[in-house]
Amino acid sequence: MQKVGIVGYYQVKLYSDANYGRYEMIFEASRGALDKAGLKKKDISTVISCTNDYYDGRTISNCFTVEVGGGYMADESKVEMDGAHAVLYGLMRVLSGNHNLAAIWGGSMASCYPYHTVRLYETDPTWERSLAYVNDVTSAGFQMRAYMEKYGVTAEEIAKVAVKNKKNAAKNPLALKEAQLPNITVKDVLDSGIYADPVTELMVAPPCDCVAALLLAPEKQALKITDKPVWITGVGYNQDPYYLGDRDLSGCKSMNLAGKMAYNAAGINDPSSEIDVAELFEANAHEELIFAEELGFAKKGKGIEINSAINGDLPINPSGGALGGNPPCATGLIRIIEAVKQLTGEAGDYQVKGAKRAVASGQVGMCAQNNIIYVLEAN
Amino acid sequence: MSKMTQRKSLDYIKKDYVRTRTLTGSWYLASYKFKFNITHMKPFLEKLKEKKLIGNQCSSCNRVFYPPRQVCGKCLVKPDKWVDIRNTARVSTFAISYLKDPETGEVQERPMVLVHHDGADTTSIAELNPEIDVKDVYVGMPIIAHWRDETVGGLMDIEYYDKFIDDSDDIRYKK
Ligand SMILES: [Zn+2]
Repeated sequence: MQKVGIVGYYQVKLYSDANYGRYEMIFEASRGALDKAGLKKKDISTVISCTNDYYDGRTISNCFTVEVGGGYMADESKVEMDGAHAVLYGLMRVLSGNHNLAAIWGGSMASCYPYHTVRLYETDPTWERSLAYVNDVTSAGFQMRAYMEKYGVTAEEIAKVAVKNKKNAAKNPLALKEAQLPNITVKDVLDSGIYADPVTELMVAPPCDCVAALLLAPEKQALKITDKPVWITGVGYNQDPYYLGDRDLSGCKSMNLAGKMAYNAAGINDPSSEIDVAELFEANAHEELIFAEELGFAKKGKGIEINSAINGDLPINPSGGALGGNPPCATGLIRIIEAVKQLTGEAGDYQVKGAKRAVASGQVGMCAQNNIIYVLEAN
Repeated sequence: MSKMTQRKSLDYIKKDYVRTRTLTGSWYLASYKFKFNITHMKPFLEKLKEKKLIGNQCSSCNRVFYPPRQVCGKCLVKPDKWVDIRNTARVSTFAISYLKDPETGEVQERPMVLVHHDGADTTSIAELNPEIDVKDVYVGMPIIAHWRDETVGGLMDIEYYDKFIDDSDDIRYKK
């Protein structure tokens, strides 16, 4: 694959109820990314946004973000999935050879709408909606139980993932305050309110407010903009069937196939030794284990055995991951940004020493129906 | 020059004062017409009326879908055969939801299950008999469809799933 560089990024701090208007938050992110790269509005040649009509409370919700998102009189279009999918669209535009700078931004404000209620409307209106109350949390319960049952993994082991990520989030100044829990224990996670048994409140990525932005440029241009570009050397994406009943919920086949596609592009043969750090969008604690296994970091059912702490063998979500805050439409984009920070040595207290190659993933849908993963490499 | 300071620094928006107002509103899309094909459902719905279950099968990959699917995604063809499905099933996986009545505040504990019918390759979303203690539910639990007295040929003809003592020898599941 031709090299495309990440030359700038910006992430607004996560808030559960931000003291921001929608426009201002988008502006801070898109302006912030340009400032970081030392660029101007006129340098942007294409804009990809990631929002959702339902999350924004208006139809064709990129219509109002023109000015603040850098799309004024520019070629712009919207992705209504995860921010990481918007990066894919931006990447394709750069690879087309027609653009010198793609600006990608994504995010929403979950404080403005009932997130888990909106997701009830994801089920099939004719087959499923009338039969039972199923949303992202209930389906997470299906998946966590199926995973535990198949591999004999315990709830305590899954709670350990939440403990690690919430402790990591405490080191990340941009993480959600409510998710920054340096003294959290496994017992706290298991004793927190039950969302959909066996999933408890602290195992669910808390929906919150944020916008993040990223700038992509072709190789030649990227080297002119910065001496520390991060290269996208592989990308893979795949999707599972829509109906939960058609899937083996104890695993995530689409993540497996996405991983293979990305590794193939980047020339990775042994992911657990060749990758230095992973930022995975885990909407629930158990998903991190499932993803790690599907991505070849451990054998099936053995995800818990990976030493995934910040100073471990293969650090996963040193930033705190989505359990440190899950702003719909931005979370996957933030995973990419966090991986970039690791590769440029800008991750501060949660820096993984000597990280040269990272993976970052995004997802949408119930039980991570649609997955996308990037391989990123330091210059 | 004020424009320059605004562009170079974002510190001005970090000051701690109330910058927003909230306007309560609604974005109401409650009315929608879901238009869907019934050709692949009709035989299934007619059988439901007789308290019988059928699924459809893709003759390319031989997977049996219950409930019937319009298209087999794997082969991108329409399933073209009908096969009988037993009314007995297993709990494939489940989650327990806690639903709060907005008026009384009463919390209902309800297991949502994915049901794997004997004879099918897919599972479907369902609820269990409310009398069943949630603590007794387990993956692999044998269950049986409980029909409403009056069936109308719709999905709601199966009211819920009941516990079932499986004494057959051909299928053995570990608890
Ligand atoms: Zn087929």
